[in-house]
Amino acid sequence: MVDIVNIRAHAKDLLEKGTVKMVLGYQRGTAGVLAEPAFITDAGQADHLVWDPTCVQNLALYLVNEKKAQSHQRDPDTRPIAIIAKGCDSRAVAVLLQERHFERKDVHVIGVSCGTLGVVDKNKLSKALNGRVATKVEPHGTDSFKVTTAEGFVDVAAADVLADRCLECACAYPAMHDVVFGEKHEDRGYPARFTALGQLEAKSEDERWAYWEGHFNRCLRCYACRSVCPMCYCPECVVDSIELMVDPTTSADEKANRIKWIERSAVASENSMYHLVRAIHLAGRCIDCAECERVCPVDIPIRMLNNKLEKEAKDMFGYEPGLDPELPSLVASFRDDDPNSFIR
Amino acid sequence: MASTPTQTPKDPSVFEPRIVAFLCKWCSSAGSDLAGVSRMQYPSNAVPITVMCSGSVSPVYILSAFNKGADGVLVSGCHPGDCHYLKGNYFARRKIFLVQKLLSFIGIEKDRFRMSWVSAAEGAKFAQVVEEFVRDIRTLGPQRKLKAKR
Repeated sequence: MVDIVNIRAHAKDLLEKGTVKMVLGYQRGTAGVLAEPAFITDAGQADHLVWDPTCVQNLALYLVNEKKAQSHQRDPDTRPIAIIAKGCDSRAVAVLLQERHFERKDVHVIGVSCGTLGVVDKNKLSKALNGRVATKVEPHGTDSFKVTTAEGFVDVAAADVLADRCLECACAYPAMHDVVFGEKHEDRGYPARFTALGQLEAKSEDERWAYWEGHFNRCLRCYACRSVCPMCYCPECVVDSIELMVDPTTSADEKANRIKWIERSAVASENSMYHLVRAIHLAGRCIDCAECERVCPVDIPIRMLNNKLEKEAKDMFGYEPGLDPELPSLVASFRDDDPNSFIR
Repeated sequence: MASTPTQTPKDPSVFEPRIVAFLCKWCSSAGSDLAGVSRMQYPSNAVPITVMCSGSVSPVYILSAFNKGADGVLVSGCHPGDCHYLKGNYFARRKIFLVQKLLSFIGIEKDRFRMSWVSAAEGAKFAQVVEEFVRDIRTLGPQRKLKAKR
């Protein structure tokens, strides 16, 4: 069990000593049951921190954003940032370290173990509650949640309301941390990794295309999946093509004919391009925090695309992202015995 | 080898596959050149695009080719160990493998995207690779799934 009092005390200690400039954590949200990210810079505010199964966000995103903001500051505060990281979040930090996005000394990882549970899926929760509105979710034992609603307490089985990714989670315990709260559980008793993916893979080619075409058709191209992903930090995204050097001699033709790999219109062909490019760019980097899928307003199963590449990388190249910041990345390394039989 | 000389048919009802071939400058492009100067007969459906190395072929190029109406995409480079840049083709092999898996996962026919190793001396092999590719794509028909509807 993770006791929030210990986390608060640790955060307060860090801020009072001034060893970190900010603690990234979770606080009670103002809209709905889910917690919201908290940016604590003052030791007095450390008591706002919460830790419960509604802390769904991957806070590694804010490390990236902070780094971006720093590059625009004249006199940036270069003290490290403390981040409360679940197992998946700590792997995201490890991938960012692997890519030298920042250095190990720039981040203080406060690991929290999800134990045998994980975080809740908001949609599954409201379904399980039959329309009642949850106001609080607490862990109850090792396999259920105690949910508080206006009508009283309800006990909900964890397997019914856990987010899909938590059901298949292989890293509920943060591998990389400076300090850790909670204990490690080897057997979580949920489906094996890639169970949902396997079901999709088992379908025929036509069924799979019908499935994905239907989903890509509905994409709005709001780019929420891109904005929420801690790994999508390129200054200019390949789908935007907004940074064109324009000087007085640039002709209208040149402006109009700048390279646009993907049109901005939200039609099926361009949407599939966008999602395929996004998936490929995350190959060997995605740590399956499934934030992209959570924020998607039209519920496209984006996680499956990432899962597919993660599985191939694991099966064929023995590569798992976010385990060792010192290893070279998936597409920047090779082995002599990589699969070759598919090549003519 | 090509047994029947191929001609460009004028009949628009006959499906002529359009193939985009990314050929590395040092091996496959020279190989296709050799096929040409040796007067080998092979289908003219492949549009060659010379790139400096198969490792420089970004997955975006491949997807973009499909998006702009290619029925098939071929990436061809030096044999493992022969790369002009020493290890570019090893990187390509990993990347292409992932792209291929992803494309077939979303339901694009596996035969539409191919990779081959063709050295500068293998003009005959290049002709054979293109010939097989064109034959396979003819049976699959036009690619409409990723093509932009413009």
